[in-house]
Amino acid sequence: MAEQVLTNTVNPQNTKRVGVFFFHSADADLDLQALADFSRTLAGVVMTRKVAVTPAPDPEKLAKEIAAARLDTLVLAAAHPGFAKAAFTRAMTLAAGDPAKVKLASFAERGEIITIERAKSVLKLAVEGANGAAQAKPAASTKFNDVTLVIGGGVAGIQASLEIAESGHKVYLVERTGTIGGRMAMFDKTFPTLDCAACILTPKMVAVGQNANIELLVLSEVQQVTGSAGQFKVKVLKHASRVDSSACVACGDCAKFCPVTVTSEFDMGIGTRKNIFIPFPQAVPNTYQIDPTNCTWVLSEGKKCGACVKKCSKGAVHLDAKDEVVEIEVGNIIVATGYDMLDAHRVERYGYGKYPNVLTSLEFERLTNASGPTGGKIVMKTSKVNKKTKQEEWVFEPDGPQPKRVAIVHCVGSRDRNYNAYCSRVCCMYSLKFAHLVREKLPDAECFEYYIDMRAFGKGYEEFHERIHEEGVHLVRGRSMGITEQDGQLYLNGEDTLAEQLLKQPVDMLILSAGLQPSHGTAELGSLLAINRDGDGWFRELSYNAEPNSTVREGIYVAGVCQGPKDIPDTVAQASAAAGHVLRSIVGAAAAAHESAAPLSANPDPAGMPARS
Amino acid sequence: MAVRSNPEFIDDLKEFGAEDVAKCYQCGNCSAACPHSKAPHIFPRRAIKCLQLGLEEPLRASLDPWLCYYCGDCSTQCPRGAEPGETMMSLRRWLTSKYDFTGISRLLYTSRTAELVAVLGLALLTGVGFLAFGFSYGGGNLGVYDGPGAFLPTHYVHIFDWTMGIVLALLLSINSLRMWHFTMRSKYAPHAPLSLYVRHVMLLPYHFFTQKKFSECEKRMPWIQHLVLMLSYLTMLILIMVFLRQMQAGPQVNWYAHFFGYLSAIGLLGTTILSIRGRIRKDAGYHQHSHDSDWVFLILLAYVTLTGIAQHVLHRAGLPLAANITYVVHLMGVVPMLVLEVPFGKWSHLAYRPLGVFLARVQDAALEQSTTEAAPLVVLDGAKG
Repeated sequence: MAEQVLTNTVNPQNTKRVGVFFFHSADADLDLQALADFSRTLAGVVMTRKVAVTPAPDPEKLAKEIAAARLDTLVLAAAHPGFAKAAFTRAMTLAAGDPAKVKLASFAERGEIITIERAKSVLKLAVEGANGAAQAKPAASTKFNDVTLVIGGGVAGIQASLEIAESGHKVYLVERTGTIGGRMAMFDKTFPTLDCAACILTPKMVAVGQNANIELLVLSEVQQVTGSAGQFKVKVLKHASRVDSSACVACGDCAKFCPVTVTSEFDMGIGTRKNIFIPFPQAVPNTYQIDPTNCTWVLSEGKKCGACVKKCSKGAVHLDAKDEVVEIEVGNIIVATGYDMLDAHRVERYGYGKYPNVLTSLEFERLTNASGPTGGKIVMKTSKVNKKTKQEEWVFEPDGPQPKRVAIVHCVGSRDRNYNAYCSRVCCMYSLKFAHLVREKLPDAECFEYYIDMRAFGKGYEEFHERIHEEGVHLVRGRSMGITEQDGQLYLNGEDTLAEQLLKQPVDMLILSAGLQPSHGTAELGSLLAINRDGDGWFRELSYNAEPNSTVREGIYVAGVCQGPKDIPDTVAQASAAAGHVLRSIVGAAAAAHESAAPLSANPDPAGMPARS
Repeated sequence: MAVRSNPEFIDDLKEFGAEDVAKCYQCGNCSAACPHSKAPHIFPRRAIKCLQLGLEEPLRASLDPWLCYYCGDCSTQCPRGAEPGETMMSLRRWLTSKYDFTGISRLLYTSRTAELVAVLGLALLTGVGFLAFGFSYGGGNLGVYDGPGAFLPTHYVHIFDWTMGIVLALLLSINSLRMWHFTMRSKYAPHAPLSLYVRHVMLLPYHFFTQKKFSECEKRMPWIQHLVLMLSYLTMLILIMVFLRQMQAGPQVNWYAHFFGYLSAIGLLGTTILSIRGRIRKDAGYHQHSHDSDWVFLILLAYVTLTGIAQHVLHRAGLPLAANITYVVHLMGVVPMLVLEVPFGKWSHLAYRPLGVFLARVQDAALEQSTTEAAPLVVLDGAKG
């Protein structure tokens, strides 16, 4: 159908000519005639019309009317007039008017009970706004920066960075630790598929390292953010790694001679590392780094040690390297800062920190991981005398004794108003995964799961739950109350609420399924970015159902657990969705820039009537 | 076996002071945390489950609430804020009203107006009664406190005390008998032969005087405080019921009787002040929630103790008129406190609690007799814990 464009003669005095269109509304018992009379008293209104809701307004007919009345502004008035906006905008375009000058007077905007007084004031406001009196002046358009900042290098940050970078736009990926990978890199298996976590994650990590569009800033923290969507200016504090990543070949000579051994953060403290270290073999970037808080050279201000500098054949170690502040300009920001585990010390009755074989879930995750301190063997800690401190300490040795009875306690610090009232959402499933790993690696060991409610809500989760049941794991409904020790034996005390029996279960190893909480620094980052958080400390999404990725600030999006506890599939999906938002804004800005280069009144159809003169 | 459910049971129990019982998600933390919860008496979770299901009958038959001494550990650990400790406390109030055949207990517990009217009405009646008696049958002169012409002759007061004591003891005995009937004769209880009652009967005085089980709670102070209060009260009761003549003689101090009087007065006053302070400050789990009946009880106790001390001091100070007036004022507190609290209110637990401990032991013994394998502590893998 050939579209007809009508000539719209703008009045020479440049006074507005407003047309008010009323719709019959079944739910609002309004006197439309009175409203029409009222609106004609308002400045600039030259026409009022009643329009039927059905059949749908025909843009072409309307365009003729608009042109005939020489209207330059339309006000659509009804309880909910939004439904007609598309047709009237189209009509305005056809009438060669400004499509942005179609305004809504929504009587029900502030509640469903509509009085004639409120309808009048809404109408007055719409007309006067349309009249130019109360209209905000749009800011001068500026270029929308297509570079994106991703904060956090876990699986969410990795996924979002790859999505954006692979569509041809630059990404700065800022990570606080010395490697990307985040929590997922620590995991052994993923539920419910029992895939090897590293097999899924490390190719993505390598892809990040190799993508020319991604600039990786590890050991870095965002310090300051100014500007608004499309033109953020960000200061990033880049801590010195003290090893030149372009020269380091990760041969490991430096670590061999480093005299300082400390507990490994990546192994959640159950293993050790040298003070010049690579967090784990598949780390990206794959270079060594120095922890300045324990370095003899740094602590003695250059007077002692320096072994790593001497041993490095590439001359890559620069112990005197300084932190620097990097300033970058980006258009969008994706926050993917993840979580920390609840400090199990807080739940005193489980004896974490008191009894050596009480572990948190992430510690067990490292214990059972082939790259962990025992090579993936599930063993108990053994007592050893530390040669330096002469004190007895409990450590994991690959040939340590195997536990005969392993108990896993759900909801440690979750669903508990004394700690976190919310459900951490992943613990039920990772606990079942642990039970599977125990049964698989130690077929003779018994495994007990103490749960309150089994939340197996995802795809394939309930089936996984059933599978674990069939594998001979004892599932006990009842949160255990705490642990006691008698003659060197640990006992877990609880009630089996289905059997209505009190249990005093001897256990050799206790795994605490501690809940998730926002990672440290979340509050500070929130105030830095001026985005709000919910009562539990997670970043608040703009709309729970409709905008789960957006924040109150345009151009800042959230992905992954920092918005609320979620599992890996949900995190990855949300990260891709956040990338989608970013790409939409980049593409949209480009399209708008393209449009604004051409005249607004351009004839969309060359065969049609000529545009207004 | 048909089970009758009363969906309004939870709401009913709120009148007795229960908090939001529906919050409980049955994790069992409380039952495992309680040092008194041992098979077959596993509580508080099971009681809360009955409440949520509206099962009055098994709860009326349950002795579990009397085995709880409300240390509050269950409530502080409760992940849902369902207040299991306060639930057990309100169940004890509810049970007291169930045991009471007159219905007065229920009225007093559930209606603030009824409680106030009863206390004030009885106080007024007592005051008028003793004054009328003093002016007619007594000495007739408010200025004489002791000796032959005393306004309220000890001899008559003694008769009054004993009459009231016997009536109240009778009421409490009937209610205690009903407690036995509801619990031991219910379909939920095992059959217990008389021999078992006889074998364990010594538990009654033992737990009455020592409250031994209370000392098994994690915190010991509440037990000591409770024991001091109870023993002080008991001492004072004995002094008044048996040694009233020595107590009222004077004006010189009779140390044989008065020493014990002073001791128990200090005990009563100290523990009452501590309890009132604790309830105002909400300083512990068991002080978080205070039912009207808790306040009435404490206020009456403080009132009775203070006026009792005052009439004694005034008498020794040679002010017989003031002593006599204070004595009547004192009795205006004593009578409502005993008449309302002993058979119908909080004092009744003096009888119900040792009885509950005793009957629970009898039930346990009966169960042990009837089942060959008794496994109070189940260990999943078969090893004995």
